[in-house]
Amino acid sequence: MQVTLKIFRYNPEDGRKKHYDTFTLDADPTDRILDLLEQIKGSEDGTLGFRRACAHGVCGSDAIRINGVNRLACKVLVQDLKSRKVTIEPILGLPIEKDLIINMEPFFDHYRSVMPYFVNDDPPPSKERLQSPEDRERFDDTTKCILCAACSTSCPSYWVNEEYVGPAAIVNAHRFIFDNRDQAASERLEILNEQFGVYRCHTIFNCTDACPRDIQVTQAIGEVKKAIVNGRLD
Amino acid sequence: MALSRKVGLIAGAKYKGGGPMLSWVLHRISGLGIIIFVTLHVIASFLTQQLGSDLGIFVNTIYESIYFQLFIVFCAIFHGVNGFRIILLDIWPRLIRYQKESTWIEWFVIVPLYGLIVFIMIQRFLQG
Repeated sequence: MQVTLKIFRYNPEDGRKKHYDTFTLDADPTDRILDLLEQIKGSEDGTLGFRRACAHGVCGSDAIRINGVNRLACKVLVQDLKSRKVTIEPILGLPIEKDLIINMEPFFDHYRSVMPYFVNDDPPPSKERLQSPEDRERFDDTTKCILCAACSTSCPSYWVNEEYVGPAAIVNAHRFIFDNRDQAASERLEILNEQFGVYRCHTIFNCTDACPRDIQVTQAIGEVKKAIVNGRLD
Repeated sequence: MALSRKVGLIAGAKYKGGGPMLSWVLHRISGLGIIIFVTLHVIASFLTQQLGSDLGIFVNTIYESIYFQLFIVFCAIFHGVNGFRIILLDIWPRLIRYQKESTWIEWFVIVPLYGLIVFIMIQRFLQG
């Protein structure tokens, strides 16, 4: 089958304004969008810029907008799309460096701001820090985050507010806040209780739909909101 | 130089967030509709009662027109029911898994309620 890809182009070095280029390719229904981008870069236009690494939905480097919604290019098959005309654009809300490549640094700044690491000042036990399956289940969903930024860059609150930490940062804070081995939950809740913390979330649900790992992002944000209001983690 | 991170209204509106994003947009529009209605009402009352101005009567005719009334009734019902749904999801975050179902329930409440009110309003409007 033939597939037409309309791809967003921007190169700060060639002096041209942002525009779209169109490519028509032969594709199999089981080809991924990433395969088509590779095909274009390999045989049609070597200057096309996009990120990829593992190509199996684990590294999270190829988040782009496919027909208007955030997806991983390596997880969307041609047969998954309703139309044979596909529009490919960079994700919104982060500076565009070149074509589909965006600057992730503002995203990682927000991520780092919520202390996304394990804190426990007690002397380590001789073996591992044990945890019951029930306690682990409490934050299991949010351990799946691969930091692809699909959720944060699908959020209208994140688009308009550079200070808002965004869904991904809250998801990663949730992963440690509800870990009963961690001792810095109150500090993280204090950070997220700030003006540009969880209360910028208006339950729009774009983040949950965009997450390639099916994390219940809005639910995680809701649980953090509730923990802040109640002052306890139940 | 990298392109700015700013997302314009048109670019944002093109994001295909589906039903939940539409609910959020409608919540904002209905909120604005209610603000416009209340503002016009206050201005009309002030102009008519305090200044005795004919301009107040003109403003009255705007927000008392059948089209504006139909719009504002939708705004009030949607804003109220959708707001109630969001409050419930905020109180019980575990229900957020069922947000699609909650949206369907919301429309099952809004459509008949609004339909009934529209029927009564149009019937009275036609009766003069």
